[in-house]
Amino acid sequence: MSVKHLKTLGWYLFLTGIGYVFLFPLLFMLVSSLKPEQAIFADLYSIRAILPVGELSLDNYRQVFEKSNVSLYFWNSLFITVGTVIMGLFVNSLLAFTLSRMSWRGQKLVLAVVIALMIIPLEAIVVPLLLLASKLPSIGWEGGMLVLKSSWLNTLHVQMLPFVANSFFIFLFYQFFRDIPKDFDEAAELDGATPFQIYRHIIVPMSGPVFATVAILHFLLMWNQYIWPIMAVQGEDARPLMPGIQIFFGRQSSWGEIMAYASLVTLPVLAVFLMFQKKFVTSLAGAGIKG
Amino acid sequence: MADLKLTQVIKRFGDLETIHGIDLDIKDGEFVVFVGPSGCGKSTLLRMIAGLEEITDGDIHIDNECVTRVPASKRGVAMVFQSYALYPHMTVRENMGFGLKMAKVSKHEITRRVDEAAQILQLGPLLDRKPKALSGGQRQRVAIGRTIVRNPKVFLFDEPLSNLDAELRVKMRVEIAKLHGELRNTMIYVTHDQTEAMTLADKIVVLRSGNVEQVGSPLELYLNPANDFVAGFIGSPQMNFINCEVLAVTADMLRLRFPCGLETDMPAMTANVKAGDNLKLGIRPEHVLEDASGELVICVDVDVVEHLGGSTFVYADYAGDISMTLQVGGLSDINGKDKREISFNRHYCHLFNEAGKSIGLRKDALELKAAEKMLPMAG
Amino acid sequence: MEPKSVTRLQPDIQEQKPRRRYVFLMSTPALLGLFMFLVIPFFMAVGMSFTDQRLLSPNETSWVGLRNYDRLLNVSGMVQEPVRDEAGQLVLDGDGQVEYPRLRTLLRSDPAMADYKLFSSWDLGEKRYIVLAKDPHFIQSFINTLLFVLLVVPLQCGLALALALLINRQLRGIFLYRTVFFSPVVTSIVVVSIVWSFLYHKDLGLFNHYLQAMSFGLIGPIDWLGDPAWSMPSIVIMSAWQAAGVQMLIFLAGLQGISPDLYEAADLDGAGPWSKFWHITLPGLRNTVVFVVISTTIQAFGLFTQVDVMTQGGPQGSTSTVMYHAVTKGFREQDIAYGSAISVIFFLVILGIALFQKRLFDSKGDK
Repeated sequence: MSVKHLKTLGWYLFLTGIGYVFLFPLLFMLVSSLKPEQAIFADLYSIRAILPVGELSLDNYRQVFEKSNVSLYFWNSLFITVGTVIMGLFVNSLLAFTLSRMSWRGQKLVLAVVIALMIIPLEAIVVPLLLLASKLPSIGWEGGMLVLKSSWLNTLHVQMLPFVANSFFIFLFYQFFRDIPKDFDEAAELDGATPFQIYRHIIVPMSGPVFATVAILHFLLMWNQYIWPIMAVQGEDARPLMPGIQIFFGRQSSWGEIMAYASLVTLPVLAVFLMFQKKFVTSLAGAGIKG
Repeated sequence: MADLKLTQVIKRFGDLETIHGIDLDIKDGEFVVFVGPSGCGKSTLLRMIAGLEEITDGDIHIDNECVTRVPASKRGVAMVFQSYALYPHMTVRENMGFGLKMAKVSKHEITRRVDEAAQILQLGPLLDRKPKALSGGQRQRVAIGRTIVRNPKVFLFDEPLSNLDAELRVKMRVEIAKLHGELRNTMIYVTHDQTEAMTLADKIVVLRSGNVEQVGSPLELYLNPANDFVAGFIGSPQMNFINCEVLAVTADMLRLRFPCGLETDMPAMTANVKAGDNLKLGIRPEHVLEDASGELVICVDVDVVEHLGGSTFVYADYAGDISMTLQVGGLSDINGKDKREISFNRHYCHLFNEAGKSIGLRKDALELKAAEKMLPMAG
Repeated sequence: MEPKSVTRLQPDIQEQKPRRRYVFLMSTPALLGLFMFLVIPFFMAVGMSFTDQRLLSPNETSWVGLRNYDRLLNVSGMVQEPVRDEAGQLVLDGDGQVEYPRLRTLLRSDPAMADYKLFSSWDLGEKRYIVLAKDPHFIQSFINTLLFVLLVVPLQCGLALALALLINRQLRGIFLYRTVFFSPVVTSIVVVSIVWSFLYHKDLGLFNHYLQAMSFGLIGPIDWLGDPAWSMPSIVIMSAWQAAGVQMLIFLAGLQGISPDLYEAADLDGAGPWSKFWHITLPGLRNTVVFVVISTTIQAFGLFTQVDVMTQGGPQGSTSTVMYHAVTKGFREQDIAYGSAISVIFFLVILGIALFQKRLFDSKGDK
């Protein structure tokens, strides 16, 4: 073996060592969710901690479904996330389109405001947002009847609507759209397309990468929401997964069950991540560089 | 089939006026080329005709109908963009049919018209490809095809060949000329390349800083440039200019002194010229003789010689700081770093007054031909 | 615009009408959303911070001026003399320590001091120095947050840069490592906090096990989350581990934006790896570093979830943060006005720090 090969091997070993540190908690969680309580502790201090060996079963998962309303939380989370992302893609890209590809009075001001709004973090407004949500009337189902509710609290939409429009995503769309040559719009304009048709037939199909980026970022943001749902949703009906697992964790449940719950919460995102990992990684990097 | 008429067209961006009241008449079926250096406003003018740029003042008529406030898509014009602007996510067929789709033309009709245009441009086998899979020349043809499908009154071309390599450029130029011969539509073509202008145009419009400098046929502009700008812009290599001093003025003759001291008489329109004026004498490189056989002989220092085979370019300095270019026969024996006499004949000379306006006598192609035979020529 | 063109503009506006309708229709949904749920709450926060607004209250809301801010920020100090007997001798308590007057009694007796509570005190010489605050929890939370930011930003950014440099090389399968390093990012911070709570466990946790094994039992079991000295560093380490993947990718993109020509030129000049890093890589990453540091800082100030899941602000308030305090007051104690005042201060601090960092980086760039 040449020196060069040794050096390469060294790099791989080094990288693998660091990779172990990054992967360990995740693997440990997934593996432990399949093991009975004693096995988790018995395997803890050896490599067995991250290997699916010994007596494996789905008992922990069964327990989680029994003890917690996890399927309801799951569908709530999925509905909130997917709904918000779809609305967000549409609404944010439309505003970015008018900001980047049309000219109108007040455009520069609106753009400056959108950029300035990026610095306000969610944390800075959750408290007043809570008050606002408590005062907004809404319509909801109760016992099979349409009723007027006096507040948005404890609903699904209170977890969605405030997070549809997002200045950072608008900015990402804006930057991408801005770099598309104007000739396309003009050619389409000569072809008789209205602004909305230009958006729909020309700009959207050409902007796959930025739509993917924003969809992914927005998905992560919504799926992992925590601070807002613990404040705005007290009841069981509209609770999403993250507060759900926190409550379960707080009940001093067994570690195997907690790991099963954590795996349930993580697996959908992990699956999406592994499926689109390349797109995921490049788009996030791009978003950062540009932001 | 359409005439196009521009009346006092002005474009202002805020306080900055970039097009200063242009009048232009374009007849049905004419191939008109807007030419000028970059920033002269030729593209802006074209985009104003297209309706992509708002017209600040003045009017545009197409087919005797005022279209100044008519949106781009309703003016009956179609445009080939410099970048082609082919939608990358659509096939060639979809690209060509997009305008008809927007106009809610039936699918059947779209297919028919796209096929028809594809036939004219031999695009048939490419119809289901995406633009990415096409060569530069093919993209160019698709961009043209897209305009044909719409069957416009006026075709607009915005520097359509500037993204192609030299060889393809010549080929596409010929194709565009052929297309015009076939369709006989009014076409307006913008370029900064005077060769394209000369070869394609029925009528050239030379623009400079938002003003029309001259309008005319290619040969007219070559023979009788209205001013030193047009003279310098049209023709390649560029015309040589020599500053001369007026010594005496008669009814139809000027006595001029060259920088090297040579004194000679030159026929001209002498109305506003007086002794002591400085004039510019222009002579095209292809009209300079490499020996002393012409009427006016001057002495130059040869700097660089380029042998192109068919012809030879000679770059020389005259009277210290005046650069002269000569285009002579391919078998020229001039060598670099030579001091030698060159010459030219009076009837090829152009004269421009201090303001740059031509004061030479009108040249006529036939007369020049006749004169050529009478005078000795080099080579 | 010159006056004469004004008259000509009229027809243009007419023609622009349909376009304007499109602009209006296409931009309104997002603008409405931003206005409703970002701009209005932001100004509500500012407005309510001057009131006594509560989430659900039968009483009318009224203006209280700066009272909330006074409660939050008011800090005072005092110096106590030890208790002496009639003879002027120091009175010692049961443990032989110098005795001081009871603070609570002292504060109660003075109406001006009645709102103050003990924040911290030191005995120095024969005097006791006392720091008082109207809301010592907030002051502590604020200091905790600053500590978190000061620790996590360099750690996380440094880790991210190191990882980016590691994987920025031509090795087969390198993307696999990139995916691995990035995987904690896609895992919810709630889940990460729960799993790490297990790893941090004093008796069962993996960290103590390895620590003891590697130090041959010399370093005893650390109560990571239960010891006030260790609780914040524990959260720092976990947070940096979880989020470094994002900054790693950003650094990686930055690294790949540096022209390879520069490195080749440096090779020709005989530069070593360290001087290449110092003279080419770092300057090339300047803008990336600015972006990463500022965004990580802003993010770090919002620390909440880890605390809420792992320690609930404890032990002894050692992990309470500004956001945790805001949620505790504004939501759990329903004192919206007070929570709003905290939010306003929170916003002003991150705004100030972002501007300060930007200026710092800008001025360094001018040199």
